[in-house]
Amino acid sequence: MPQVPIIMPQLGESIAEARIVRLLIAVGDTVVVDQEIIEVETNKATMGVTTLCGGTITELRGEEGEDYAVGTLLGILEASEEEIERTGSPVLGEREEDTEKESSKDEENLHFRSNDSSYEEPVLIEPSVRGLPVPAGVKGAHYISPRMRARMDELGLQAADISAIAGSGAGGRVTVEDLEKFLDYIQEWPRSSASPMRLAVADAMRRSWTRPFASVGLPIPMDKLLEYRSRQNPKPGLTLYVLRAFAIALSEEPTTAGFLIGDKVVHPRAFDLGVAVQVEDGVMVPVLRNVDQHRVSELSREYDELVKAGRERRLTPEKTSGGIATVTNFGTFGLKWGTPIPLPNETLILGLAAGIKTPKWSDEVGAFIPVTETELCLTFDHRVVDGGGAGMLLQRVGQLLQEPEKL
Amino acid sequence: MSVTYIDAIHEAQLELLREDERVFLYGQDIGSFGGAFKATKGFKEEFGSRVLDSPISEDAMVGMAVGAAINGMRPIIEMQFADFSSVAFNQLVNQAGTHFYRTGIPIPITVRMPCGGTPGSGPFHSQMIESIYAHYPGLVVVTPATVSDAYQLLKESVELDDPVIFCEHKFLYRWLKSANLKGDALPLGKARLTRAGKHATVVTYSAMVHEAVRAADRLAKEGWEIEVVDLRSVKPLDIDTVLASVARTGRLLALGEGFPWGGVTSEVVSRVVAEGFHLLDAPPLRLNAKDTPIPYHPDLWAAHRPTPESIVEKLRELLNL
Amino acid sequence: MTPPTFSFPPPPLEAVLDGDLLLRVFRSMLTARTLENKLSSLYKGGKIVGGVYLGTGQEALSASLGASLTKGRDYFSPLIRDQAGRTAFGEDMLDATRTYLGSAKGPMRGRDGNIHRGRPHQGMPAMISHLGAAVSVISGMLIAKRMKGELDGIVGATSIGDGATSTGSFHEGLNMAAVENLPLVVVIADNQFAYSTPRNRQFACESLLERAVGYGVGGVEVDGTDLKATLAGIQQAVTSARQGFGPQLVVARLLRLCGHGEHDDASYVPQELRDSLIGRDCLEVGASQIIEDGLTTAEEIEAWRKEAVEEVQEAVATAQRERGPDPYKEDWRATSVEGMQ
Repeated sequence: MPQVPIIMPQLGESIAEARIVRLLIAVGDTVVVDQEIIEVETNKATMGVTTLCGGTITELRGEEGEDYAVGTLLGILEASEEEIERTGSPVLGEREEDTEKESSKDEENLHFRSNDSSYEEPVLIEPSVRGLPVPAGVKGAHYISPRMRARMDELGLQAADISAIAGSGAGGRVTVEDLEKFLDYIQEWPRSSASPMRLAVADAMRRSWTRPFASVGLPIPMDKLLEYRSRQNPKPGLTLYVLRAFAIALSEEPTTAGFLIGDKVVHPRAFDLGVAVQVEDGVMVPVLRNVDQHRVSELSREYDELVKAGRERRLTPEKTSGGIATVTNFGTFGLKWGTPIPLPNETLILGLAAGIKTPKWSDEVGAFIPVTETELCLTFDHRVVDGGGAGMLLQRVGQLLQEPEKL
Repeated sequence: MSVTYIDAIHEAQLELLREDERVFLYGQDIGSFGGAFKATKGFKEEFGSRVLDSPISEDAMVGMAVGAAINGMRPIIEMQFADFSSVAFNQLVNQAGTHFYRTGIPIPITVRMPCGGTPGSGPFHSQMIESIYAHYPGLVVVTPATVSDAYQLLKESVELDDPVIFCEHKFLYRWLKSANLKGDALPLGKARLTRAGKHATVVTYSAMVHEAVRAADRLAKEGWEIEVVDLRSVKPLDIDTVLASVARTGRLLALGEGFPWGGVTSEVVSRVVAEGFHLLDAPPLRLNAKDTPIPYHPDLWAAHRPTPESIVEKLRELLNL
Repeated sequence: MTPPTFSFPPPPLEAVLDGDLLLRVFRSMLTARTLENKLSSLYKGGKIVGGVYLGTGQEALSASLGASLTKGRDYFSPLIRDQAGRTAFGEDMLDATRTYLGSAKGPMRGRDGNIHRGRPHQGMPAMISHLGAAVSVISGMLIAKRMKGELDGIVGATSIGDGATSTGSFHEGLNMAAVENLPLVVVIADNQFAYSTPRNRQFACESLLERAVGYGVGGVEVDGTDLKATLAGIQQAVTSARQGFGPQLVVARLLRLCGHGEHDDASYVPQELRDSLIGRDCLEVGASQIIEDGLTTAEEIEAWRKEAVEEVQEAVATAQRERGPDPYKEDWRATSVEGMQ
């Protein structure tokens, strides 16, 4: 026979428990629906617990004179199926909470359940922390929270500095905890201070790197140039000839040195070119003005002075600003090729690699002849210039360098 | 010894009536009946004409209190349910709240509001009203969550020269018990760090403090340490304690049993974002009751308000950001 | 204690009214009318910001009440048309001009204006705009006195209009005062209109005095245009209240002789009403009554009028010379205890 629970009801707004004053029935008694079976007393009044249906009392757990919390199982009533159907009474076993309940007077806080005297944990499916949806704007490796930002500012860090950290936040973002762990980790490693020059270069490169660069290289025969130069007195720097050829080539196609701002390509106003000068722990780039309009012989002295000033770190801001492109000679280190990075305010940089004596087939002679070749490496902003344009520019520079007397 | 939250309120009033003859009580059924929640049981016998049964006239009750306060008394008005205070809204916000600002004369009234839901209490016996009164200038709004705070903050509220809306939580009346009546004597205006943590901060008040602690305990089993801050009063709001906590954890969940539009949780979030933006490692979140009147059926009611389960879910969301 | 049932005509004048009292009341009426004419001009001249509400036509009622109370002992909670009552009760005219003209030295320090002014600790609470709300406040002041054992001999009074008796606040307040058997006098100026709403849209009883039965309080109804009858009625009510007969209503029938505010021209008031008995000016009626009784002469009244004009000039000039509140020097605090906001 189905069993109906007899529960201590909620007999007032803030009532938590009540005392059984009198049991009006005993085990084995037959009862009808709505019959008062237990007299209870709260601090406001005396009331009666009534039956939900008719049947037989099979169990009584409550005792006279004792206090029971609201929701406690006080007894069990057995009723027929029809009676259950007719009255719609709840039946034991349908809900697990009905059985085995201890009334707990010390239970602190249960105010989200109606008939419980103890708190039952519903079975939870535990989702993984990472699986929950996160708004797009606050996840991903690029997202830096305000707290991260503040901490990084405090430590003088840039986003590039923490590229080594694999973030544990949503979408792989780096959280402050990740950052602190990382900093603790590298605390052990040997270190030296970065000089102001180093930091200045770092900052310039970081700013420059926001553009999509590509590099192309073209080997150029240098014999004619080298031979012509050796007959000059005084001898102009080799890089100066390249500078001059570069300037002339650019003046013929100004858009290749253009700057993209929005939907406009801003053309150079003057062909001022810089030359990279390596100093102790960095690079300085003095700028020569209107290189397209002056011959090498005219530029030579200024060039030497600027390079010297550069090495001695005596360059003023006017001397290093306003260039539209730069030439860098890393051939002096024996390098065969390179992918230099333009300055943040420029879109082109032309690298001059080392001259190497290479056997080249000569149709005229019908044999391999030695040719001193150097690779001209051009890095360009691919938003403004494509491979073809870059290639043509290099071809032109190479062409000009075969007639050094005209430079 | 076990003291319930309502015992604490009873005891506080008893002491106030005994110690200060300017204090008197006015409310419905508070005389020989002892009040709907027995907060004034036994007082009529001892204090006679200082404990009066009022007619069902919340407007007049508060207006009368203002007048009595002008003449030097310290009335305690018991609203039978916070929900009925809306009838007295005008007297509270326009008469009591503006009086000092307009005339320079403070109004030391305390209006006790049984707030919050219990199963089956329905839309008009369950409301949390702290936000609407905090919105108006001139009112102090107190929301004790513990037995000792109920005792101490009630005493402080009556002793304060300004009008106090004292929000008692009905469910805590008899469910919340403590071994001690008196606690750490933290003054009115300071929030308390109820539970120390590391990964996230839950800022809340009144009954939700206990729900938050339960949620924190559950998450502790998974290795998350959640900090819980009990505001104790929503106006004044101790934003310094909140900010100090967010400085430790970087994540904030503002939790309340009130309705979601505006209110205490919005105030907390907006202040933390304005003053502590750099402390936040994730966007701050709020969890409130649903934007509907409070349902009657216990199952609906349980789903309407934050529970330890829903708080845990929200915290997981926060920790995941 | 059972309150006396309400009656209609008051007892014979000679037995009740003191000559000096009558003259004091009249002079207050005259001063109030003079001041309010000035306020109206200032408003129309753009010198007053906000609303201006006058008591034209109600001076007899208001002044009778003010004069029947004693400042320093009794409480008077005036409403918007009680300038005459305030003057009779003893309010300094500078309080009025300073508040209207926005001087920082006024009792409200610029934080509230016009008829919202008051001095609660001198027995004149500052009203709020919600009509009817003052009834329970005055009651509370009386209850406080009772709890201290100091209520003996004190009367609290408040004014209200016919429209305001519709509010829940009024009902709750008067009901509670009746339950507490307080010495409260509620003076209802039934001036036929609440703004533009005629009284038949405000309540269904023929006379507001009928409500007294409902509340279990005493009351009297008078012709508000008749100075002597009005004063007699007020005196009876105040005496009854003081003797412990519980709250008393005084319902005065009269006509509002000005707009709801000075921004309103009251064109909805029918001419027939203005031309009828209820449309008489209590100041004129009062003047002829006291002259007829031999208490004064027309010349003396004229002299009093001139004095009133001087007094008003002085009060207005003083207030106009004073500065308004400085928003940068305000503490902007709404709680008396610091740190509670």
